[in-house]
Amino acid sequence: MSTAELDGPLEGSAHFPERLTARVVTPGERPSVHGYDVESDLARHYQPSDLLFLFLNGELPTPSVSRAFAVALIFLAPVSVAHASTHAAVVGRLCGAPASSTIGVAAIGAAEHARSLLDEHIDLIAWLRAPRVAFPERYRARDDGDRAAVQRLEQALTPTGLAVPALGERPSRDAALVIVLFAVGFKRRERLEAVIALARLPSAVAEALAERPTNFGNYPINLPRFTYTESA
Amino acid sequence: MTLPELIQETRTAHWGWHEHRYFGQRVFEDLAGRETLTGLTVLSVLGRRLSSDENGVVNDAACTLTLADPRIWPLKLTRLIAAYGSTLPAAAAGLLSEQDARIGPWTTAKGAELLLAFDAAVGARIDDSELVRGTVKAYLDEHRFVWGFGTPFRGADERLVAFRACIRRRERGSLRFWRLMDAVSAVVRDVRGTEPNMGIAVAAAFLDLGLTPHQVGSLTSALMQHMFLAHAVEGSARGASLRELPATHVDFVGHAPRTSPRAGPSSGECTSQGAVAAPESHEFMENAG
Repeated sequence: MSTAELDGPLEGSAHFPERLTARVVTPGERPSVHGYDVESDLARHYQPSDLLFLFLNGELPTPSVSRAFAVALIFLAPVSVAHASTHAAVVGRLCGAPASSTIGVAAIGAAEHARSLLDEHIDLIAWLRAPRVAFPERYRARDDGDRAAVQRLEQALTPTGLAVPALGERPSRDAALVIVLFAVGFKRRERLEAVIALARLPSAVAEALAERPTNFGNYPINLPRFTYTESA
Repeated sequence: MTLPELIQETRTAHWGWHEHRYFGQRVFEDLAGRETLTGLTVLSVLGRRLSSDENGVVNDAACTLTLADPRIWPLKLTRLIAAYGSTLPAAAAGLLSEQDARIGPWTTAKGAELLLAFDAAVGARIDDSELVRGTVKAYLDEHRFVWGFGTPFRGADERLVAFRACIRRRERGSLRFWRLMDAVSAVVRDVRGTEPNMGIAVAAAFLDLGLTPHQVGSLTSALMQHMFLAHAVEGSARGASLRELPATHVDFVGHAPRTSPRAGPSSGECTSQGAVAAPESHEFMENAG
């Protein structure tokens, strides 16, 4: 039997368009992003961080927002192998997976890491949308290291000229970065998730590619020590 | 210096010298030659084995769930990744797209949660049609979308028709959640004109096996992987034509051509928003899709 001899719901009255719809990148040989020519305009006048901003927000950042966004991306970027997302990518590399699979594992890890981070900051995002009540205590800096990191973030932001009043609430480092992303225009959950994942992906990929495939002897197989139990 | 030992408990498995353990079972002694792939899958999700007849229900679900036309969106996704020539990344992408999605196997977890909520409200009074109707009607008044209902492109879900016949043959149609599903479906049909689909049926049958909603979603996902694997295998071998469609098959509906502020005078329909300042100029995003 073949399609010509078979019938089904999709051969019936259901109507679908014949073409795909592109909304961001123009197809073909002269690509543009949200209307801006890539090769003769964006490539000559903007940085990759500006392009990421444009991709996700639909508009180019002002110079001030551009610099502040670049600062936030750099603060977000490092994710050490202590974190499950990067750790997983390294284990993928150890297994001898091809680079494409290792990058795929890193991308899944980075996306899950970002989702988890924003799950933990759901009340902060609600406060940022409507800061009419007191700043949620759970997002305040917990120790001197946290406070010092946020101070360094504020120092890095100062030359950008972008005012972020919520940083005065003494947030934790993670909360401060969510606050800055919100301030530069990332106000929707899914776009916050995207930009955090994309900022962190390179460090996971780099850490994985720095490992030698099948280097099992150098991997702490009992970190953590899994204890098997048959009790419920 | 000795580091503090980090410990995580697992009930899943242990690698021994001559025998391995899997959820309390000796792999070679208890499982090899005695357990089926379905039974192993059930053991992996539930942490316990089911009876042969109960595993039969799981097999019935797997078989009747087999709707694998490559035009169906999650399977199409698998074909698209497979177009680059690798099998497992394509299968993994299909699997990844299932978590918490509005279509696909995870809808059974949502359907199970719905049935448990109705069960908590109705309890043993499932034959009290007024109570059931009032409970379901109240839910429908508050929820536009109802997990497990809706049969796009056809009047009824043919998979549910076939699965119902399997359930009847196994004399499980009178069990608590299957009856509840039928009672709820009658009200939804009457109020909304919407038919139940396979998602709510699998949820009911698996709740009757004692699964939790999370186990229902996980097991159903495992039972549907054969379809993703099929497309990953076939698509990676002969699907390269999907790698890039001709531009003539794509309509661009995005922003008109424009010039950036740094390149010179603006042009195009959105010139006044050629650059975004923060934070006051970002209100447009609050209303964006």
